[in-house]
Amino acid sequence: MRIQQVLCAAGPVDAVTNQAFACRRLFGSWGWGGEDASAVLAPGMDRRAVRPLSSLRPGPDDVVLVHYSGYATGLERLMELPNRLVVISHNVTPARYFWAYEPIDGLRCALSPAQLAELARAADVAAGVSEFNAAELRRAGARDVRVIPILFERDRMGPPSPPAERRRGPPTVVFVGRLAPHKRQDLVIRAFALYRAEHAPDARLVLVGTPLAPAFAASLARLAEEVAPGAVTFERGLAPEALWERYRSADAFLCLSEHEGFCIPLLEAFHFGVPVIARPIGGIPEVVGDAGLLVPTDDEDGIDLAVVAELLHLAVSEPDLATELRRRGEARLGAYGLHPTAARLRAALEGTEAPA
Amino acid sequence: MSAPTPEEAARLAEERAAAAREHGGYAEAPPSFEVSPAAEIGDWRITEWAMIEPDPAKAYSTRRAGTPITWLKRGLLRLLRQYHDDLAGQQSRFNAHMAAHVMRLDERVRELEQQLEAERRGA
Repeated sequence: MRIQQVLCAAGPVDAVTNQAFACRRLFGSWGWGGEDASAVLAPGMDRRAVRPLSSLRPGPDDVVLVHYSGYATGLERLMELPNRLVVISHNVTPARYFWAYEPIDGLRCALSPAQLAELARAADVAAGVSEFNAAELRRAGARDVRVIPILFERDRMGPPSPPAERRRGPPTVVFVGRLAPHKRQDLVIRAFALYRAEHAPDARLVLVGTPLAPAFAASLARLAEEVAPGAVTFERGLAPEALWERYRSADAFLCLSEHEGFCIPLLEAFHFGVPVIARPIGGIPEVVGDAGLLVPTDDEDGIDLAVVAELLHLAVSEPDLATELRRRGEARLGAYGLHPTAARLRAALEGTEAPA
Repeated sequence: MSAPTPEEAARLAEERAAAAREHGGYAEAPPSFEVSPAAEIGDWRITEWAMIEPDPAKAYSTRRAGTPITWLKRGLLRLLRQYHDDLAGQQSRFNAHMAAHVMRLDERVRELEQQLEAERRGA
């Protein structure tokens, strides 16, 4: 069998690109061939790994697997191909978050729902990486909608550090995600500043992520310098090993995003035994389950930053609570095991019933 | 006191935050500015975007052994700088006129809204 994977945009530190590579490794282990192509190739992307979409020429029996992450030109012709078509939606952020900083990204996001709906209706199988995403595909009128979570390759991440080693330095809070308005790093900084002022003056915050736009990154840096001077570190473009080290040295993972379709870093935090505190929004509640501390929200999904600061304090200072969260995080990863997800993906590609 | 369970943590955090506030805690001075998640596009941003400055670093190659191709592309850009500067100048001029036009329209809409509001109050 040959699988031709299509990405909307490919980049060297892009989560969806990494998912496509994980799928490719899996296909290789099954003895399946095929190539990967993308409508847009970001700077630094290796053309040997991902080719331009325009060069994609699927054979008559090939299956086309689209990893949809935003509007891209050239996807229309995929719907005209006679090949079996499987679309996995990795979620699209609402456009309103981008207008003020990157209007072209905003435009892509604004055009995405219609294009995704069209693709989903044309697809033999349309899948969301979470039930939250799958619901969007059902509303679009897709025929066969499934949930195929991301392939989480724990064996590539190395072991977590023992909890005793973790507590040697000052408390460290981490968040991993693109520096973008919907991720609300501004709230993470402000909640962290409150935690620091009330409980841990030596605490540190590490924000890992590529900025959406220099102006947005500058705003966050200015905010951090104002409310928690010298305590916030911004990092980007980390190699996997360096990223895993950030998790190993963290005492809590804090996610206050306003929009998330899945949030892979939550699983990474579980893997490294880092207690998770998160706002229950989008796909987050189903990914976190009972393995994290969900921040109470009001009717409009607003949060009280003082409560977030107290949750941080509990997660960092209560060893029994942290141990229980680590245990549950480990159990939660069972739901995202490589084998069950791989079986679902294989069933979608082969056109068989989804395994229970 | 035993450690809270994850299920108890949220309620406990709310109680502790409320108690701390009663004693003057969590008196967060609001930051001097907001990082708005879905900010309006301000006039300053439109004018900033109007003056285009193409980044030569965007001329690159992702091909195998693409470094010489990147150098070649950047060399060509240097050779054609005069032409590209003129092109960028023309585009920026058009953008600036459009930005100014949008801002004038914005002012007129604001004036009309104020007039309408005043008429409503008068009525």
